[in-house]
Order: sequence, then structure tokens, then C-alpha cells
Amino acid sequence: MDPEDITALQKARDRLKDAARPDIVTRVHGTAKLTARERIELLLDPDSCIEYGGIAARTRDGDWVGEAGGVDFVGTVDGRPVIASSSDYTDHGGGYGAGRLGRLFALAVEQRWPVVMFVDGGGSRARHPRAGMGHIETSGPVGRFSFLDGVPELSGWAPVVAIVSGPSFAGHASLAGFSDFLVSTPGSSIGMGGPPMVEAALGQRLRPNELAGSEMHELSGGIDLLVADEPAAIAAAKRYLSYYDNDKPDGAAPDVDLDALAPDAGQPYDMRKIVGAICDADSVFELRPRFAPALLTCLARIGGRSVGVLANQPLVDDGAIDHDAASKIARFVELCNTYEYPMLALIDTPGCVANWDLKGQDSSVEPGLTRWHSRPLIAHQQRTVPLVSVQVRRGRGLGATLMSGASSTRGVPALRLAWPGVEIGRRDGYSAVVDHNAFDDVIAPRETRERIARLLGMFGRPAPRQRKKHPIDTW
Amino acid sequence: METHLLRQIADARARGRDDARPGVVDAVHRRGRLTARERLTALFDLESFVEYGALAGRTTDPADEAFADGLVAGVGLVHGEPVVAASYDESVLGGTQSDRNHRKMAKLLYLAVEHRWPLVCFANGGGARLDDPLPPPPIAVSPRGRFELCDGLAELNGWAPTVAVVSGRAVDGHAAIAMLADLAIATASAEFGTQEGYVRGAGDYAKTGDVDVVVDDEAQAVATVRRYLRLYLVDHIPGEAAGDADRIADVIPENRRRPYDMRRVIAAFADAGSVLELGAAWGRSMLTVLARLDGRTVGIYANQPKSPLAGAIDAAAADKAARFVELCDAYDYPIVTFVDNPGYMVGPQAEREGIARHHARPLAALHHRTVPLYSVQIRKAYGLGPYAMSGWGAARRVPEMRLAWPSVESGGMSLEGAAYLVKRKEILAAETREEAMAIRDEYAERMRDAASGLRAGRSYQFDDIVEPAATRATIAAMLRRTPRTRASVKKHAIDPR
Repeated sequence: MDPEDITALQKARDRLKDAARPDIVTRVHGTAKLTARERIELLLDPDSCIEYGGIAARTRDGDWVGEAGGVDFVGTVDGRPVIASSSDYTDHGGGYGAGRLGRLFALAVEQRWPVVMFVDGGGSRARHPRAGMGHIETSGPVGRFSFLDGVPELSGWAPVVAIVSGPSFAGHASLAGFSDFLVSTPGSSIGMGGPPMVEAALGQRLRPNELAGSEMHELSGGIDLLVADEPAAIAAAKRYLSYYDNDKPDGAAPDVDLDALAPDAGQPYDMRKIVGAICDADSVFELRPRFAPALLTCLARIGGRSVGVLANQPLVDDGAIDHDAASKIARFVELCNTYEYPMLALIDTPGCVANWDLKGQDSSVEPGLTRWHSRPLIAHQQRTVPLVSVQVRRGRGLGATLMSGASSTRGVPALRLAWPGVEIGRRDGYSAVVDHNAFDDVIAPRETRERIARLLGMFGRPAPRQRKKHPIDTW
Repeated sequence: METHLLRQIADARARGRDDARPGVVDAVHRRGRLTARERLTALFDLESFVEYGALAGRTTDPADEAFADGLVAGVGLVHGEPVVAASYDESVLGGTQSDRNHRKMAKLLYLAVEHRWPLVCFANGGGARLDDPLPPPPIAVSPRGRFELCDGLAELNGWAPTVAVVSGRAVDGHAAIAMLADLAIATASAEFGTQEGYVRGAGDYAKTGDVDVVVDDEAQAVATVRRYLRLYLVDHIPGEAAGDADRIADVIPENRRRPYDMRRVIAAFADAGSVLELGAAWGRSMLTVLARLDGRTVGIYANQPKSPLAGAIDAAAADKAARFVELCDAYDYPIVTFVDNPGYMVGPQAEREGIARHHARPLAALHHRTVPLYSVQIRKAYGLGPYAMSGWGAARRVPEMRLAWPSVESGGMSLEGAAYLVKRKEILAAETREEAMAIRDEYAERMRDAASGLRAGRSYQFDDIVEPAATRATIAAMLRRTPRTRASVKKHAIDPR
């Protein structure tokens, strides 16, 4: 081999490193952000990285002009394989160029590996030689998948995490929108059309964050979590992945007197505290905390086993289930079902309310049923992971059914528990159990954790699957 | 057999029939309505109804007057094929839901799931019966289904069609039936509500996409149910082109900026008189219809240039398309799409509505489909918009055929929008609005010429650029090569929203 070739290769590789472009690094750090490579370094275990297409580049008139809009790796997080990708906003606006992501998606699909992608950028690269209408670029060693359809293929098969810590529009926002865990930072934005397109289409001049800010998405459900900065987003991504296919040997019980926390009739209380008192200490990771806040969705552990917790939050709107809460339940049930997280439903709701917004004519929230409320029923019907329900207090109307599934076939809870303060229909307390056989047992609150842990211990891990159960709805 | 036992049964049966209750029947007719039994008679083929639980009552008293315990139900034929149907009787205890009639529904749901029979429910009634006696002890020898109401409907969802008709007031559990059905039909005067007294009309439910079809009266409702079921039950009938099929190109205006009514394109493309539109009152930039093409049942969805959003796909339109793709896929209807949209809706309002999330829903539904898809690009193909109509198209499913008409135009964003950005300085410097528009339009025309018609064919962006009048025959020929296949297990549910 000609030593010159090796040297040339080494040179090309060196030019990729942040050390080779101090000006850009300084500029990025000046905006309190990390470079693409720094993000990956923080995410992946040390010395676990294998870079794909690192020296792939776009050339202009035969000249080297830098990387191809981002970096792509296979590595490990906590020792488990993960595909990691980051767009590089300092390089061609982060436009994806080489189809490497599509290639890595194929690996992820074959191996059922999670994907973590930083997706800030403005969509496909407009001036790429092969960028043309009707075709997302697929030059280079692509896998079975194009740039974008790998994500719906992965949906419900392996976790897809998107991190948006800058402006993310068009194709980038689309990638983010397909993910099952989308974490973002203040000041960032995620939108289908960026400021220039909005100006051209609607004549409105808006800054990215005014147009589609992550702070807005935190409330309207567009993202799953808003955290302070990029290191926190990376920590959140790792936390999310920690529940996937990864039971801990055991978990410590929280030091809380649940009997004392359990509410009396009509007394306000924070359901979050009850979730915390049942699950392993420090194991609760809440998703979409400020969207549809009358309904809590948390990943957690009980006795070391990863679980998904659904809970009404009576502190907000009395715990009523509106359209957004119904969708939040449905999507979370789909997520738990695909990743085999057994579920816990803590029920205390006055039932369903409909959101009426007839384009300015009127806008109200009132008791009623719409198709949105049918979404959880359908999701529970296809659920195959076990669910334990604990009726804390009320489960009026269809409320308890939306939380735990209808009571006879596939959706039937593996164990239906109630606390002594339970109210059911017009009958309450023990009479419901005696008359209706509505619960498998009524227990003291402090017995709850042990009872659930014992049952979960009897459910073995499911056999490996050849194909996904279903995708996870993006809404 | 003791004759008094036989007589007792015959008497009880006779007393439950409409002709034994002329006063009740007259009152119903005076309101322009049909009785619970008349609705089923209208639905089923002549003399085909086999009733379940005709003798059920509120109590076991032989003199009990709660005929069929408020739910007339059974199995009959529609277009010669078995269909399960239930009709709540508002003249019996307000059509309220009781232990017996819940179990009757459960039995019918079992039949429907087990045999893959469609289910039709006339869901008028006051919700749960508050003074219903407690259910019998579990050891009672009573007909129990495998399902209860909600999970039976959820199980049936995506396996066989479920249709709900509301022509009175659907309260609580009755509304739940309508909201779980994959086709919800309501008469214009119908209402949905709760026992607390909150009530909303069919018009509101249609505007939000919670009711698919609004009709004048029950006769029309029944006719719509029979049409919907026939599309599912009878896959292939002789089909005839619409009278103006040859002039389909005339629907598209000469001026490329003038909108047109996509409903006219669909009517000229599909078999004469075969179009059944679903959800016309909501997500109006997206049309969803069931129809026939050369006698085959197909699902057609299309952008509507003549709509407030000019065909742009907002969250509601995306949801509407996604649900329709799931419906077509579940029932094995090939899909045809007509594409003419300026892209997904942009701007702060669209983003607040979550378009970055909702846009993915039709794409995911298309990605997971197994039915064939044929797309016809009529005019605008901008940004990510075309993908919503045929999928990303690389990995799992590629459209079986992507056609375009010579009027096709494409770009990363609308030509006018792109022209605005490229010529922004000149446009902003223009003295009059007319002058500004002229600069924009001149550039847009040039870009259009560079990408449309023949050039799109040359670059093989489409499988063919076809003359509009030849579209019907081309897709019909492909359909003949892809006979309907029925999955032996349920593919997936149809998301209610």
C-alpha cells in the first residue's frame, strides 16, 4: 500500500475533528451549544463509537468543502448498542446529504437497536446535485431505507429519540415528529415550514421560536419533554433508553407512608406523590408533563421492572379526560405495548369531557363523548402487556375503562385493585366489590407496591418477536 | 307440550310487535320517525331477520311491558350477506341500557367478531338505566358473550365494518357506541349528550369529524348504511363510466392559479353514481370517498383546491387522511389518490395545532398499508405534500403506480412562494401591488415550465404522464391485475381519530 494513501486518509480524518475547526467550535460554544461531535461524545459510552461515512463530503468543483451536514455513529449507551446521529448546523445548515441515516436505519431495523438523533436543520439540502422534487437524496451506500421512511418502519419496533436543540424545520421537523421520544430545549423550534416559507405563504415575518417554539410545543403536546440545555437533553435521552429492554435486578422501596397520602373523599391531593410512593425510589420519569396535565404518563420501575404508569391528576380539571388526555393515554399505551412495559393505571376521574372549538363560534369544555375518547379503548384492546389498575377513588362513566381497558377480553386488567375510599358508579366502597365483583381485591394503600411487584414477578419477559406489534402513533 | 306455555310465548311475542302498540307507533310516525323494528325491517332484505332476545324484559314477570328490554336485535341479510343489527327502542324505558340488553349486544358482538359479520346499531337512547335491577349471579345459565359492549366494538373495529346511526338522542353509553363505530351516521336533528344534560347537535359532531355523514331522515340513513355495507360485502359489480368521464380534463381550469372542485374530478373518474363521501363537513381541504372503479370497491382521497386552505394539509386533514387509509387497508379497499396541494399547512396556527406531529400520521398509515395504491398528480406537488398522498415510498410500500397529468407542477415549495423568496428584493421594491405580483408570477411561470408535463415524464418522476381521460382505464386495468385479498386475521384497528 502506498503510505501516501494512508497519510491522506489520516489527514482527511483529522480535518473532521473539532480541533481542526476552532473558529466554528468557538462560534457554537458562543451560543451555549455543543458541536455535533461533542453531542455524540456525551451520549455514547467512551471508546464505543464507530463512525459511518465520516469522510463523506460534498465537493464543489472538485474541492473539499467539509462534512456532509452531520455525523453518524454506531455506539453503546450503558453498554447497549445505539445508533446515534447529529446534524451539524454549521455545515450546510445541517442538511442531510449522503443518505447515511437511511443506511443506519436499516441496521437499526435489522438489529432492533434504538436510534438517537439530533435534528436541528432546515430540511433537505436545496442545492445538492441530486436534490430534486420527488426524491429525498439517496446517493451513497444507502440501506433498504430512504432518509425518512426508516422512521415509520422503526416506530413501535425500537425506540427512536429525537433531540431538537435549535431551529428544526421541514424534513428535520418531520424526522423529529416521527420519533417516539422528542426532547427539546428552550429557544428551539420545530415546525413544518420555516420563517422564509411562512413569509412567502402568509406574509408573516416571525422568528423561528415565535413561529414554532419548543416552549409552545411543551404545552400543546408537540414534544415529550423540555429540558434546560443539551447536556440535560442527552441525559433525558439516556434515561428514556434505560427503561428499554433493561430491567434492574431490584429496586428500593420509597420511604413514604402511602396510607397517610391516600386521599379522603373530596380532598385534593397530588397524584404525582402517589406514583412516587408506589414505584421504586427515584425511578419515575414523567413524559409530556405539561401537556394534558390532568393525566400523568410516566416511565418507572417497580421492583426493578420497567413499567408504564398512567394516572389521573385530580389537581387539574378534577382529573377529567379531555381530547388531549385521551390521545395522551392512547399513545402511551401503544408505547408501553410495543416496548413490553407492563402498565399501572391509577384511577380517579370524573369521566370524559369534550373540547368544543368550532373555529371562533364557540369554545368550551363540557361533559360528553367524542371519537377522541375511543382512542384509548382501541389502544387497550390491542394491548398485550399486563396492566394492574388501582382505583384510588372515582372512575365514573367511561373513565375507568379509558384508563384500564374494557373489562372482559383482551383489554382486561391482569389485576384490578381498589383502595377503601373507592367510589364506583352510584355505589361506593365495599358494596361495589361485593355486588359487582368489580375488583379483584380492596387493599390498604401501603400494600399496593408489594402486591404489584409480586404479580409482575410472575409475568416472565415476553419471547423475542419477529415483527412489531404496531407502530406508535405520533399523536 | 302444554298449550298454555306455547300460548304464553306467542302472546308475549305478539304484544312486542308494532301492530300491537298502535298508539306508540303513531306517536313515532307523527315525529317523522321509524320505530325500532321498522328501522331493522328497512335495513334487512325482505323476511331475513332472525331476532335474538325478543322475549327479554325488565323483569321476569310474564306481564312485563319492557318489550325486548328496549333493544330489538338479531341477524339478517343485507344484499344477501349476513349482517348483525341492533336497534334501541326509545319507546321502551327510553331505550336505556340494562344488564339484559347489554348481554344481548354482547352476544351479537360475539357473532360479528366470530363470523366477520358487519354490525349496524341504531344508537338512540338515554344511556345506562339507573334503576336496573342488579345483574343475576354469575352461576345463572344466561347467554353471555365473550365481549362487553366497548371491547366488543373495539375488537370488531378494523375486522368488519361497524355502523352507528343516531336519529334521536344518544346519551352516554349510546354515544359511546356511535363514537366507536367506524361509520357514524346522524340525522340533521340528532343529538349527542350526557345524563347531566349536556347536549350537542349532529351538526357540531359533523364539523369536528365525530360524525361522518349527516342525512335528512332515517330512511336516508338506512339507504346510506346499505350503500356502505354493499361496498364491503359485494366487491365486484358491473361498473359504468360517468357520463362526463371523457371530459374530465375540462374540470381543470386553463389558468393554473384558479381553483376547481376536486369532487367533480372524482365524480368523473369513478363509476357513475358510485361515490359515497365520508366526513364532508370537516378537514375540508381533504376529501375522502368510497366509490367503485369498473365495479371494484376503491377508497379515494384527494386534496380539495376549492377549500378555505386551498388544499393545504393541516392537522385535521392529515388525521382525516390517516384514518381513511387505515379504513381502506383494514377492509382491503385499493386506494386511489388525486394530488393537488401546496404542501402541509405552515404558520403559527398550524404549528400550535401540532402539524409537526399530525403530518406523520398519514405517512405512517401509508407506510404500513398492504392494499395497492395508485396516485394521480394533477397540479401542485410541493414540499412534503405529495408524500401525504402516496407515502415516502422506498422501503416497505411503494405506490403501485404514480401517474401525473400534463398540468403537474412541482418544487420544494409553491412556485409563487419560491418566486417571492428569489425575487424578494424586487418585489418589495415594486411601486404597486400589481407590479409586485407580475414580477412574482413571471418567475413562477418560468419555473413551472422547467419542471412540468413532459419534462416530469422525461426525468421519470412518475410512472407515466397520462391524458386525464385515460386515467380511469389505466388504473382500472391495474386493479384487474390485483384481485382483492382478504387477510385471515385482523391487520390493525382503525384509529377513531
